[in-house]
Amino acid sequence: MKSCVLIKQVPDGDSPVVIADDQVSLKGEGITWTTNETDGYALEEALLLKEAHGGEVVVCTIGKDSALQVVKDALAKGADRGIFITDPKFDNLDSFGKAAIFAQVLKDENFDLIFSGLQSDNSSNAQTGLILAEFLGTSHATMVIGTEWIDESRIKVNRELEAGWFRWTELDFPASLTIQSGINKPRYASLRGIMLMKKKPIATVTAEDLAMDEIPALSHIKKLYVPRKTKETVFISGSPEEIVTQLTDKLENEIKVL
Amino acid sequence: MHEFKYAYPAYFYLIALAALLYFFYNLRKLWAASAGKPDPAAKPGPWQFFINALTFGIFQKRVFSRRFSYPALMHLLLAWGFFILFFATTVDFFVARGWFAAFLPRLDTPWFASLNDAAGLMLIAGLLLALFRRIFTRPEKLPNDFFTGRGNFLGDSGIILFLLILALGGFFAEAARLAVYQPPTAEYSWIGYPLSTLFSVAAWQRLELVLWWFHALSALLFIALLPLTKMFHVLAALVNVAFTNRRLRGRLRPMFVSRLMEDPEADLENISLGVSHSREFRWKQLLDAIACTECARCTTVCPANATDKPLSPMKIMTDIRQHLYAGELGTGEQKDLVGATITETELWSCTTCGACMAECPVLNEHVPAIVDMRRYLVLSEGKPPEQASESLEKTLSTGNPWGFPKKDRLKWATDAGFDVPVFSEKKKADVLYWVGCAGAYDPLNQQVAVSMVRIFEAAGVDYAVLGTEESCTGDSARRLGEEYLFETLALQNIETLNRYDFKTIVTPCPHCFNTLKNEYPAFEGNYEVVHHSEFISQLIAAGKLSPDKSLEGKVTYHDACYLGRHNQIYAAPREVLGNLLTTGGEVTELSRHHANSFCCGAGGGNMWHDIEAGSRMNVNRIEEVIQSGADTLATACSFCLIMLDDAVKIKGQEESLKVRDIAQVVAEGLPVSKG
Repeated sequence: MKSCVLIKQVPDGDSPVVIADDQVSLKGEGITWTTNETDGYALEEALLLKEAHGGEVVVCTIGKDSALQVVKDALAKGADRGIFITDPKFDNLDSFGKAAIFAQVLKDENFDLIFSGLQSDNSSNAQTGLILAEFLGTSHATMVIGTEWIDESRIKVNRELEAGWFRWTELDFPASLTIQSGINKPRYASLRGIMLMKKKPIATVTAEDLAMDEIPALSHIKKLYVPRKTKETVFISGSPEEIVTQLTDKLENEIKVL
Repeated sequence: MHEFKYAYPAYFYLIALAALLYFFYNLRKLWAASAGKPDPAAKPGPWQFFINALTFGIFQKRVFSRRFSYPALMHLLLAWGFFILFFATTVDFFVARGWFAAFLPRLDTPWFASLNDAAGLMLIAGLLLALFRRIFTRPEKLPNDFFTGRGNFLGDSGIILFLLILALGGFFAEAARLAVYQPPTAEYSWIGYPLSTLFSVAAWQRLELVLWWFHALSALLFIALLPLTKMFHVLAALVNVAFTNRRLRGRLRPMFVSRLMEDPEADLENISLGVSHSREFRWKQLLDAIACTECARCTTVCPANATDKPLSPMKIMTDIRQHLYAGELGTGEQKDLVGATITETELWSCTTCGACMAECPVLNEHVPAIVDMRRYLVLSEGKPPEQASESLEKTLSTGNPWGFPKKDRLKWATDAGFDVPVFSEKKKADVLYWVGCAGAYDPLNQQVAVSMVRIFEAAGVDYAVLGTEESCTGDSARRLGEEYLFETLALQNIETLNRYDFKTIVTPCPHCFNTLKNEYPAFEGNYEVVHHSEFISQLIAAGKLSPDKSLEGKVTYHDACYLGRHNQIYAAPREVLGNLLTTGGEVTELSRHHANSFCCGAGGGNMWHDIEAGSRMNVNRIEEVIQSGADTLATACSFCLIMLDDAVKIKGQEESLKVRDIAQVVAEGLPVSKG
């Protein structure tokens, strides 16, 4: 079985968020970069399946120079090789554009399974894995919270639905799975793994290698802003009747829910 | 002088030679330690080697422990009885043959005869005490396989019986000799002589040869078998204590992982990180295992064992030994050392408190051996305890094991209204106040941090903190076996520290203290590091700090492992408390104090994960405190404060028992400046 794991480098949750002058990107200073959380689960699931049923795990990312680190971290945990797609032209792409590039790079690899995190911690679109499946013409499943190996051509996955419902589905290979957090316990990178990582191949792919004249985009960020905190507590006092009158007035006229 | 002409046919010498050859052949057990890796630490100078052998080998200083007074007396009688008899027999052997006779005392001098009998009696008394203990007292942790057990020929008690027969046989052989030859000093043999008068001379004459041979053969058999029995410790322990580097004893050996990472020659595919096979230990660590006498003192005092966790430091030692002998001497099947022989839970149960090492009579180092095997689990296998792996990852990304944002590291001070000087602005100060992660982020320890600031200001100390540039020292990471993370943190902190100009580092956390003081020098971080208990004690002694006496009622003190056992700081915190007592207040000792203190359960990285088995160490400890009737429990350790405060809450005793750091108690007696 041959798997690919798409991994994204995102700012750590505690990093200061400072919007750059262009209003559509973040200032890099002070940001600690890390692997997107659900991508870590995706990697672990791919590694577990490889350990149980053999094969190869390839990790792939699109990002700036610093993003090479997430590939290295994945290799240290046990992935076999990396594909690092980087080019200034690839900054600030939308999910569609990224999926198009991934499709171009991965199409000849003939992966049985493509894993990705459910969504990224920074842009939360939850789209890339799906659009990629469309580009590559593979089956796909989102919100995967469990997998069960059937044979060399099929896999059973448990999808998390709304309101505490789950559904088991069978998929034919090739398939693209987006992984929900909690599916497994991502492993700790051993020093031995970190040392072995240094010998593992990482292929770098740039715009030049891709023969793509134009990167398609279906969505554009117009402006980034930090949400204003508008928490306000109003105390209503008086007799029960007065409180009820004031409350219904507020619900009706201010909040407009009645 | 009596003559033994007829008693020395040639075959006595042949048997003696065979016994000695077998004895020397089995010394290969000692040589098995050479299978280990080189140990640069185990190179004591000739003087220390000699002093060690004398102090801990011949005079057995560590055997004499207050907690083990019965076995101490037992061993004293046994060992010295044996030594004197060994000496006497050797002298007698030469004197009887007229070899070196001019230089040797004679057996038939009054003092030698009486000493000899005294020694025999000591030996028998010691043996009877030992047998009584094995058969009737039966201490819970003491291994008690009468005739077999853990590869020891004649088991735990069989060898004692053997020695008893040997000693009694000696008295009968002596009585026969005295009866038959009637030497002029016979009466001075105050046991052998009365014994000789029990039967007629004629009877002794018939028995003399048999008794002599019986004693001679049993003695030779003992010599031949000694290396195979538990008595091998008389040699192994002597060699082991002699080679011990007492300055570095119990300290973790650095791996210099970063150097290894940069080494282009390193064979990455086959590199071994940590220890998963006896051959991967240092040779001195193997010698430790060989020297273990299975006295079970380590296991008896182990807090993990006392709270029913699956750890016995003694078993760790005997398991390593069994693995070593199986591999090197072919004494059995060699199962995997880590996993099959020693389980992961055993290894993770250890809090590295060092109680085992403090009691060990043969100076074994259990904790470094355990951490070496943890290193294998983490560095080679990537398998830290599940909960702890989160803390390790957070330590790497945020610089503190809780995972609080790095930028909030000085929030404790601003929240308390203090404008604490930071080195990034001040550059130079007398004292670098190392706050520690607990002081920075844990609500209880933040109060300690604030107290320290108030103490510095009241005493006019020129100090500053590193603020957001401070990072975890790596104490927990290192003890969890994560040497790579430890080194990363150490190198980063050393680089930060070296940028600034200060005289002394003062820290309230004994874990930070131990790491900064004892572990950073290996990475070229050499600083004068002082624990806050010592610093405050010095300030008070110098008259720079005069807190009001605020301690009332019954106060007791909990010795932290990394302050007491690991760094021998016992007096300073007690001095501080003594200075703060009001009239009527008193400081009392807990039943387990000083080097016998009982771990709170947080050391060795166990702050960051729970072992499900057994009960909680902090509760065990607090029950002792509650029983003492103390109103205030003083601590001088960040982790102990958290653990013991938790335990008080678990026991629902918040109203009657206050847990506070000594710095808090001091600051309470200071005029409120601000904050």
